[in-house]
Amino acid sequence: MRHVLAIAFLILPLPVLAGPVDDVLDHHILPRLERLASETALLSTVAEQHCDGPSALLQAAFNRSVDAWIGGSHLRFGPSEEENRAFALAFWPDSRGLTPRSLTVLLTQEDPIGLDPVAYREMSIAARGFYALEFLIFDPDISTSGSEAYRCVLIQTVAADIAYTSMEIYDDWVSRYADLMRNAGENDRYQSEDEAVRALLGALSTGLEFTADMRLGRPLGTFDRPQPQRAEMRRSERSLANVRESIAALGELAVLLAGENDPLSANLSIAFARAISRADIIDDPDFSGVAMPGQRVRIEALQRQVRDLRELVNTQLAPELGVAAGFNSLDGD
Amino acid sequence: MKRAITLGVSLFSFSQAALADEVTDVLNTYADIAEAGYADSLATAETLQGAIAALIDAPSAEALTTARGAWLAARVPYQQTEVFRFGNVIVDEWEGRVNAWPLDEGLIDYVDGSYGGPSDENEFAVLNVVANPNFTLSGEAIDASVITPDLLQNTLHEADGVEANVATGYHAIEFLLWGQDLNGHGTGAGNRPYTDFVQGEGCTGGNCDRRAQYLQAGVELLISDLDWMTAQWAEGGAARTAVLQDETAGLSAILTGMGSLSYGETAGERMRLGLMLNDPEEEHSCFSDNTHNDHYYDGLGVQNVYTGEYMRVDGTLVSGPSISDLVAAEDAGIDADLRLALSDAMRALGRIKYAAEAGFAYDQMIERGNAGGEALVMGGVNGLIEQTRHIERAVAVLGLDALDIEGSDSLDNPGAVFQ
Repeated sequence: MRHVLAIAFLILPLPVLAGPVDDVLDHHILPRLERLASETALLSTVAEQHCDGPSALLQAAFNRSVDAWIGGSHLRFGPSEEENRAFALAFWPDSRGLTPRSLTVLLTQEDPIGLDPVAYREMSIAARGFYALEFLIFDPDISTSGSEAYRCVLIQTVAADIAYTSMEIYDDWVSRYADLMRNAGENDRYQSEDEAVRALLGALSTGLEFTADMRLGRPLGTFDRPQPQRAEMRRSERSLANVRESIAALGELAVLLAGENDPLSANLSIAFARAISRADIIDDPDFSGVAMPGQRVRIEALQRQVRDLRELVNTQLAPELGVAAGFNSLDGD
Repeated sequence: MKRAITLGVSLFSFSQAALADEVTDVLNTYADIAEAGYADSLATAETLQGAIAALIDAPSAEALTTARGAWLAARVPYQQTEVFRFGNVIVDEWEGRVNAWPLDEGLIDYVDGSYGGPSDENEFAVLNVVANPNFTLSGEAIDASVITPDLLQNTLHEADGVEANVATGYHAIEFLLWGQDLNGHGTGAGNRPYTDFVQGEGCTGGNCDRRAQYLQAGVELLISDLDWMTAQWAEGGAARTAVLQDETAGLSAILTGMGSLSYGETAGERMRLGLMLNDPEEEHSCFSDNTHNDHYYDGLGVQNVYTGEYMRVDGTLVSGPSISDLVAAEDAGIDADLRLALSDAMRALGRIKYAAEAGFAYDQMIERGNAGGEALVMGGVNGLIEQTRHIERAVAVLGLDALDIEGSDSLDNPGAVFQ
């Protein structure tokens, strides 16, 4: 591969720089997904011992796992798209309230599927993944609904299912998918390096869009009609933490993509760091402040900042890379 | 890494008269297909209006069946126009009026007790306008004593900023014709009795006069919306003009619509999510069990605009130079691969349709643990994802992927994003 590039360098009039794909894989994707796999394995182990909602250990393990997920949640292509794995980890937003509804049915009917992590892989995604687990641990109604014994096993089942799916994602990256991206141009999935870069840029751009429009936009609603009850993971008071975590992860990806272009890398670092410090001055973990003018302006300002980051990525990083983001899963309505 | 941009320049800076003419022809074919598709949607909606008038005039099981048949027929051309979304602002701003989904149908009419009540997301999920001539909406007293197109469009639709408050369009009409599908994953669609439209004695479900008013107002509104959109694509219409005035933007609109409908909308939101939720209501036409056709004709619409061919409901063929010709001129391999991917996806979507028409309904396919159904639906999903990958290659080979960048405020004023 390197030889081919070297020869190309001699022939082509344009300079060919080493692409950012390897760096992104080695310093962003693989370590983050390894962390997701190990944190969720730990979560599952903790749940085996502490399956009651109020357990501080369980809540701490949940929080570490969600941090890990949010930090890799933008990588929604390849291994996490295949087998619908990302959907199985994270069904949100849930605009029809399907998660509490399906959990209530499970808990009140004591459906035996909840006792078996293997069978549970057939379960509706509304009752799987981090968002379902959050309801089971933190929601005042769901966390006390049904029998304690069944609820305990259901928490263990959901945690084991999360750990298994996370491990599958990481394994698939390590054993197969990373090589498809590294060897872009030599396989049909990525017919050129541009295509691999386009996928990474798409993940970055879509991740920013998701954080701005969903994580921030849904609770903000409109000025006249704020919707604090729609904040992501408000029950575990993670709404702001998720936004912050996602900006940090996306900033890391942006800077790696900019690679050897020092001025652009520096610009991106500064812009992402500013957004993070804007998040840090918000003292409103569940975004209930969207309904209070004083807090609301800060959350709105953060949303603007995230939108500006996306603009920066699309107008400065994308042309530098010579590609534009491909189609993404938010393109629908 | 500069390659895509170079190619882009090659296509458009080479712009000799011949090439410019060719692009204009391609854009005109696209607009012709849009105009014909919306005109067919309008004509079939007018047939539906006639059938609804007959149903209300003399309610009977036959009249209800005829009206349902007219609704199903009207969906055939309309779904093929969905490919004009996502690339054309005029269509995007309008689409929610005619095809919004999913809906909290309790806003409109009576629902079964299992439906639930007001939710975190929607206070008006069980408002039931048919039964309530007066109610309060966001603090404002509403007089709904007469159900008019204006009331549906300007007061009820997306009431309280909730998208699931769908008061207008095909799916609101679908609900009034079929009612809720209470069969879960079992056999059968919604089964509203025709007596729900009987005026006076014999009326079931209550408020038959208001239900009839709602249905007529709904179809009247649908017709005026389709009539308006057809005009936008006619010679001199705003949608056609927008596509033609900037060749690069016009070509980009074609491919953006194809890719976005294939991937994020159909493969993602509508098909995969429904499958993964195993929820019988999580299908596009959940009252009528017509979802297999929704997906099939969406896919066909994508193939239509790429190949520049649309068969009208009267059997005439609209055709002309297409974006396929432009892609083939740049790289015949990419064009051939994309055509093949479109055909493969149509075959996979066809399998869902054939199975459904043979009695294996879409809501049965997405039931938990139904391996055959999952394989069918995932076949369609994978076909749509695969064709999207080839559409992205077509975007790149035509040099359209630098498009976002042009005309952006931030490009003119890069410092703005740091402020």
